[in-house]
Amino acid sequence: MAYYNPESILTDAQKAPCTFELAVPGLAPLNNGSAIEHGTKLDLPLWMAEMLAVSKPAGPSSTSLVSLDMPPALGPRVLNALSADPKSVELRAQAQWFYGLGERMLDLFEEEKTVELLIDTFKQRALEIADKSQNTRSTQQGGDSGDFMGGLDEMERQLFRAAHDGSNAVKKWFESSSRS
Amino acid sequence: MALPLPPGLTPAEVGFLCEMELVTVIPRQRLEGLELLGGPTQPMIPPFATPLPLWLALLLKKQRRANISPPGWLNVEALTHILDFETDERTADVFSPSPRLPQPTSTAPLEEDPYLAHDALELSPPFLKDAATAQAQDDALPYHWLELSHLLLTHAADDFDDPDAVHRLLRDLREVRMSKLRKGFRVLDAGAGVKMNGMGGMEVAEVRGFVGGVVDGLRINRSREEARKEEEAEQRENGLGSSNYRDDEDDDML
Repeated sequence: MAYYNPESILTDAQKAPCTFELAVPGLAPLNNGSAIEHGTKLDLPLWMAEMLAVSKPAGPSSTSLVSLDMPPALGPRVLNALSADPKSVELRAQAQWFYGLGERMLDLFEEEKTVELLIDTFKQRALEIADKSQNTRSTQQGGDSGDFMGGLDEMERQLFRAAHDGSNAVKKWFESSSRS
Repeated sequence: MALPLPPGLTPAEVGFLCEMELVTVIPRQRLEGLELLGGPTQPMIPPFATPLPLWLALLLKKQRRANISPPGWLNVEALTHILDFETDERTADVFSPSPRLPQPTSTAPLEEDPYLAHDALELSPPFLKDAATAQAQDDALPYHWLELSHLLLTHAADDFDDPDAVHRLLRDLREVRMSKLRKGFRVLDAGAGVKMNGMGGMEVAEVRGFVGGVVDGLRINRSREEARKEEEAEQRENGLGSSNYRDDEDDDML
């Protein structure tokens, strides 16, 4: 992760559900001021959740401060839908930086199958993006593909833009070179 | 990050570089040799054909001081031949090959570093000589085929025998090759590559952003991929070891 890259900062700011294993009086501001007890559930940004889940407090108990759960965007419902048909899922509705979230979470969880599924999803959707980026008129002026851009996560949008910019620049050069 | 341009050449830059290619010009007027940054040009004496950089040739063409004779691959017959190759089922997954490389110049003087000697430089597609002159090889598309043919067809159409047919063939070629490239996207992977031998500069510039984005994006969990690759490499090594063992056995039996 690049330090000054706003994209990775925004990726890290996405939230994951955490369950506190211990009472942590010092972190009460996180819970709107009310005390954090054993079993309190909170949605914390990834960067903080990871720190809390990995760090172990000194003392007799061997558990970490919080236990981290998979965010709903990577829950079984979404994953099943993705394995059924990657192109029909609106990833943006799940998480703005869906793949980034998946990458960060799967660094912590050992789930080979989910990794495979995400990679496969990305590949199939990338093909769709390559095709759709060739005629942007239909994607921008609505119709059912008007939702297409709305369903792309931020990384896929950049891909769409890159594919579109490429063919656009070629078109532009062709036009400008025929004029002069 | 701060650089506004994407990595690699943009299509406009590729088009600009294409204008450095030498084309064959048939002058109508005398012109002394010019001292240009890219080297001196030959003096133009009508009616002898002279190689000139494309930009200069187009300028003279516009002033009606010269005619451009199109390269060997840019006529109906050669293009039909190349298009047949591209659409043939047997060669469905390769692009038509780029022009032949010149003979390697291995007789370089070895006193200095042979890699730095000027006549020892090996040329490869973007820098091949004579790709656009009348001496060009007529059964292969050079690196700048798309840009060059476009420039010649728009600015010097009257130097072609049948500009419309050439134009049509070029459009077909472009579409066939684009759809081949698209097929190649399907096998993109974090470690895999698309074979792009024979692709032109403009085609590469067009898809660079997309292909780069996909390959970058596929590096989800790169560390895990690497771990798996190491595992695979280990397995392969083991496999190799066992086959060696078997070879030994064979030897013993003999």
